Amino acid sequence: MLTAFDLLLIAGAIFIMGAGFRKRWAVLQLGRQERPRRDLVGLIRYLFGQARILQNRKAGWAHLAVFFGFLIPLLVIILAQFDFAMPAVIAFLLSLTAELLGLAMLAGLIYFLLRRLGSNEPRAPQKTILPVVVLLFMVVTGFLAEGARLAIIPNGFSWSAPVGWLLSLTLPNAPLMMQLLIRLHFFTLLVFLAMLPFTFMRHLVAGSLNVYYRRSGSPRAVKLLLLEAEPTGAKSIKDFTWQQLLEAEACVSCGRCDEHCPAYQAAKPLSPRKVMQDILCQMEQIGAHGSKWSTEGVPLLEEAISSEEIWSCTTCMACVAHCPLYIEPLDKIADLRRYKVMGQGRLPEEARKMVRDLELFRDVYGKGISLRADWAVNRQVPLISDDSTKVDVLFWVGCAGAFHPRYQQTARELVKVLQAGSVNFGILGKNEFCCGDPIHRLGDASIFLELARENIKQFNRHGVQRVLTLCPHCYNTLKNDYPRLGAVIEVEHASQFVARLIDEQRIQLKYPLEKTLTAHDPCYLGRANQIYEPLRQICRAVPRLILKELDRSRESAFCCGGGGGRMWLHDGLGRRINQLRAEEISRAGVDMVATACPYCVTMLEDGINSLAMEKQIKVFDIVELVSRAMK
Amino acid sequence: MGYGMGPMRIIVCLKQIRYTYARTGRDPRQSFLAPEDQISRVNPYDETALEWALRVRERHGEGEVFILTLGRLTAETDLRRCLAMGADGLYQIESDAPLDTWAKSGLLARAAKDLAADLVLCGKNSLDTGNGQIGAYLAHRLQRPFISAITDLAISKEDRKVRAQRKANRGSRQVIECRLPAIISVELGTAVPRMPSFADKKDALAAPITKLRYEDANHSRVTVRRVFPPRPRPKRIPTPPSHLASFERIGLLLGGSRVEKKGRLLEGSTELQVEGIISFLMKHGFIDSGR
Repeated sequence: MLTAFDLLLIAGAIFIMGAGFRKRWAVLQLGRQERPRRDLVGLIRYLFGQARILQNRKAGWAHLAVFFGFLIPLLVIILAQFDFAMPAVIAFLLSLTAELLGLAMLAGLIYFLLRRLGSNEPRAPQKTILPVVVLLFMVVTGFLAEGARLAIIPNGFSWSAPVGWLLSLTLPNAPLMMQLLIRLHFFTLLVFLAMLPFTFMRHLVAGSLNVYYRRSGSPRAVKLLLLEAEPTGAKSIKDFTWQQLLEAEACVSCGRCDEHCPAYQAAKPLSPRKVMQDILCQMEQIGAHGSKWSTEGVPLLEEAISSEEIWSCTTCMACVAHCPLYIEPLDKIADLRRYKVMGQGRLPEEARKMVRDLELFRDVYGKGISLRADWAVNRQVPLISDDSTKVDVLFWVGCAGAFHPRYQQTARELVKVLQAGSVNFGILGKNEFCCGDPIHRLGDASIFLELARENIKQFNRHGVQRVLTLCPHCYNTLKNDYPRLGAVIEVEHASQFVARLIDEQRIQLKYPLEKTLTAHDPCYLGRANQIYEPLRQICRAVPRLILKELDRSRESAFCCGGGGGRMWLHDGLGRRINQLRAEEISRAGVDMVATACPYCVTMLEDGINSLAMEKQIKVFDIVELVSRAMK
Repeated sequence: MGYGMGPMRIIVCLKQIRYTYARTGRDPRQSFLAPEDQISRVNPYDETALEWALRVRERHGEGEVFILTLGRLTAETDLRRCLAMGADGLYQIESDAPLDTWAKSGLLARAAKDLAADLVLCGKNSLDTGNGQIGAYLAHRLQRPFISAITDLAISKEDRKVRAQRKANRGSRQVIECRLPAIISVELGTAVPRMPSFADKKDALAAPITKLRYEDANHSRVTVRRVFPPRPRPKRIPTPPSHLASFERIGLLLGGSRVEKKGRLLEGSTELQVEGIISFLMKHGFIDSGR
């Protein structure tokens, strides 16, 4: 039974907790206001399913055990404080579940504790051990109190409390000790509650809120920011939205982003976890200063996050896909880049040429629109112009398909495939500009918007409704960004389109290919747009071809290292990302690797060449594979 | 004029050019140019000159950089982008008549005088006409030292001495020194022009352009007599003799107008070879046969 004093203690603990959270909430309010989406169903499903957390098996199950081991016994004990009669069966079941969950929680906590003690990562959160020890103490005192209670009223073994019974055998019949243990158990809970906002355990609240307010659909960073509404990137934490700040609050520094981050894995300076923790650290600094921050000025983000870090990102979205709390380090990095480029004009030297090329020539290679259709000369590729007949689908070639010597070949192969499938298609030729993805990822939204508006003008002028793109980056931009700028188009990637042609039997893949092949998922097709199947579907459609999956595929596919404008930046720090991937591919023991992206093809070819293997693995675009099997 | 006093005033001459990167047109009178074969831009050498000017101003912590352009605003967007890179003002010398380099240099020199420039920077040459004379003419008109095609630039703030590096013969470098005021033309390379920030770009779009007008353009001492499109030069390939086998004829066609070298290798003993030489010389009248 609770005494008045206990109630006072509870109130005290809740007061401390409330005060702590209020202070942190005030820092959150420094962020820009944005109307969030609310998703209660999603939150409940998330809390009770924990699917995202279970992506990492061991830690996921341990987390599940601790979560339910804390929640259910707490509810049972609260329920027990109210005197009411309960059917014996239910009471029995509740007691048993509480005990079993308590055991599970104990195991989970010990696993966590050992994991933390065993890890020597410098960025492992300092404040994780204390809450785990407190929880551990709570579980142990809970079981001891149960044992002491059962030692006082010995009624033999009961299935309702096996652990309690076991412990009661060793404990003396001492009411005082029982009282003491119950108090201890109770106080530990209060201490735990009071310290919630001050340790990483605040993720109970912040994480849940973050899931509640999380965005739907594709990651925020692949979505377009409109210039009129958005400031030019993030100079200090005040330029983030409060939701982005909430994400930093929710971060428990578990390191799954680092585990999957290609830049981090290649020993480059970037760690998505550090980015989030740096933001959190600045928020805490500001919080600690209290009201003084307004006079002293907030610290700038570049003080904590170096430019090497933000330029190392390939925007592959692995951090976003693997965060158990739906935190997106990527859009913070994108905001930081935008401030660097649009706010300060500080783009790395080597990439400036590409920006000039885009401004002047409208393509990333600086060749000029006049030469855009040269790859298609004498290949009966219809050109969409004012006086041409209407076509069903526009083939959006992209800069790589139009100009890159290796990928021009792919564009021609796609033309062959389309002609074989008697698709009524056309290209824009001189009227197609770069879609704007590279410059958008590098952080200049103004040039991107300029290019996008020109392209959309062409779509509208020629009544384009369906677009087929060769490059996943074009695909992502046309599909996710252009509609917000007024384009009414239906976009398909070449792999989807060709897979459909095969499905509808408009093209036949007759010629067998006795090879083992693996698929490399391009980030902007896979993680950004959840298109994994067409690639595999096509591979399976080629007779005798054996498809072998890589260790890291689909959601976990490792980036080739070419995205996010990295294609135009020097790669001097750490190891090369494409070599890491090439090594993984070579370990798979395959003859060929198929992908569907010009960056991936180039990067993987370079990576595989650098391995200098005896039997070189061939890199193909999926389209080339199809045209090969058609001949 | 106040040379040598106060913060430095640098003038950068920017030429707006139409750069032709392709010839996809069908009309020979248009020189096979389609409208999209050209882009309007600021001469990249001049952009680099601007970058150097901005670096000098940055290093000194004071001074002013003005952009000077001549003629109609054919590449205004790009010009304003240059302004956004950090120049303090944009001057345009109005002139509609087509001018040659000598006349242009006269106008530029007068503007440079009016603006009290301590240093005038320009590109080594332009991507369109590319005669690379403007810097030298300017120096002549203003009677100032001239350093051409520099790749590095340092100006000491105290004694206003210019130290410039340029590429010399066979990969070596020259360091050249002179005193301000001076004229310097700039080579591409080491200084990559900076990127303007978004706010600067927006400001530059609305920035005023100060117009200068000079009535009497100096008339030229050098005249351009004629401008004409190049006529495509046909590759001359003789018809292969029809008695040859087909693969030999194809070989001749692919080889173009290659002429077989006529010559005779002398063989045999030394005496025979010497005799051969002597008879060759006598036959062609290099030596007299009488002696």
